[in-house]
Amino acid sequence: MEYVNPLTGFRLDGRRPNEMRQIRGEIGVVAKADGSALFEMGNTKVIAAVYGPREVQNKGQQMDGQALVRCEYSMANFSTGDRARKSKGDRRSTEISLVIRQTMEASILTHLMPRSQIDIFLQVLQADGGTRSSCINAATLALADAGIPMRDLVTSCSAGYLCSTPLLDLNYVEDSAGGPDVTVGTLVKMDKVTLLQMDAKLPVDMFTDVLQLAIEGCKAIANYIREVLLENTKKLECMRGS
Amino acid sequence: MVGLSAGERQFIYGGIAQDLRSDGRQRLQFRPISVQTGVIPQANGSARATMGATDVIASIKAELGKPAPLRPDKGKVSIFIDCSPTAAPVFEGRGGEELSAELSVGLQRCLLGGKSGAGAGIDLSSLIVVEGKVCWDLYIDGLVISSDGNLLDALAAAIKAALSNTGIPKVSVSVGASGEDQPEVDVSDEEFMQFDTSGVPVVVTLTKVGRHYIVDATLEEESQMSSAVSVSVNRHGRVCGLIKRGGTGLDPSVVLDMVSVAKHASETLIAVLDSEIASAEAIDDDDAI
Repeated sequence: MEYVNPLTGFRLDGRRPNEMRQIRGEIGVVAKADGSALFEMGNTKVIAAVYGPREVQNKGQQMDGQALVRCEYSMANFSTGDRARKSKGDRRSTEISLVIRQTMEASILTHLMPRSQIDIFLQVLQADGGTRSSCINAATLALADAGIPMRDLVTSCSAGYLCSTPLLDLNYVEDSAGGPDVTVGTLVKMDKVTLLQMDAKLPVDMFTDVLQLAIEGCKAIANYIREVLLENTKKLECMRGS
Repeated sequence: MVGLSAGERQFIYGGIAQDLRSDGRQRLQFRPISVQTGVIPQANGSARATMGATDVIASIKAELGKPAPLRPDKGKVSIFIDCSPTAAPVFEGRGGEELSAELSVGLQRCLLGGKSGAGAGIDLSSLIVVEGKVCWDLYIDGLVISSDGNLLDALAAAIKAALSNTGIPKVSVSVGASGEDQPEVDVSDEEFMQFDTSGVPVVVTLTKVGRHYIVDATLEEESQMSSAVSVSVNRHGRVCGLIKRGGTGLDPSVVLDMVSVAKHASETLIAVLDSEIASAEAIDDDDAI
């Protein structure tokens, strides 16, 4: 199948190979949570809610020197095209929960909140490829909304390689094409990679190109997230009346 | 949710007794309701309903299936609610299962009628394609994103809005199908049949706190309830379903009184909901153009 048109260079959804899908972020969507955010990457829509820092529920897991970070990823029944009967706690969800927890933990200044617990809940409303990345971006916004101190913004983007072209931000069709799918999570200002996952195979020199493309995508998302946070702060400032 | 202090509890009780609740509402006043339709593009119909801080999404998917042998002239509808952990940390893992099951069964009781399919708010006979062989299976999925009390009412409102947003594809059956085999059906991509939702009821939950009942309770008010009665009423004022929750016993006359109060409150709710759904559909149509 022609994922990249040889004549025009456009992808199946009309994007250029190094073009990301339209992103949109919104803060404060779940009123009851300490921090929450909605993040959309194209048709992929994810809600993140943060509860914490609060008292540790399971005393056996309490840590004296730092906060306990927990994460749960769940997909809605209607999130995928065919209504798959979602089983909570299936292996894919568990793996993604673990991966996102490790990524966010790298950025949260956990030593400032010892003996406490921070819960990050991710709910996928619509899945069209790149759910992992959308979840990390949404979690960053939600953690900022909750006022939890972080080292840096964590952003994530995916990239692949189809029809001899590195492609940025794969959607579901491109992801299921069987080509490599590299997901990268970075701490942007510090220029460090915290998450790197790839499936399928890719020659090493191509890999560096694809990785670089994904990191560029992460930087672009970080700029957008920074704007969203600034807007939100201005709004709060206005409401405070200063 | 953090527990309430004795002073806060007194405040809630006293406010309700004096017809002035904590957020300024009267006992029988609903919070502002807003409805958006078409929020899940890949579903046949979907809607998002918010009542104050309670936020729920309902999605409807239609698939072709075989009708039950005992009811060959009726399609099948199943309702399944899920409480997302984003609504409350207690819903993580399997914590939300009990509440989800309670809400699912409650809505089934209110919307789907008796075991024979009679008296359903949704007209099941309109879902039949070939009697006895092919029918539409409707899967109604609800998701609670944010919970501030009154989940049953919000979910019922979202389902009603989603049903009015639902388009069932037109199916043409190939002629000449033999008696026994599954007939060939051709599902159209272009033409859709809009669902008739005039008979779909709304649910009004009356929460008894002290000696008075309130409509549309917040999470804090619900924590102080002695019992609650959820009444499903349709446009013609007919009661389509009834659920009593909470351990405290109620005098039968009190229950009857609550049902009539709920019927009265449902009139305003139906009016507000209809106008919200109509404006949401209008926005949808504008976008489509």
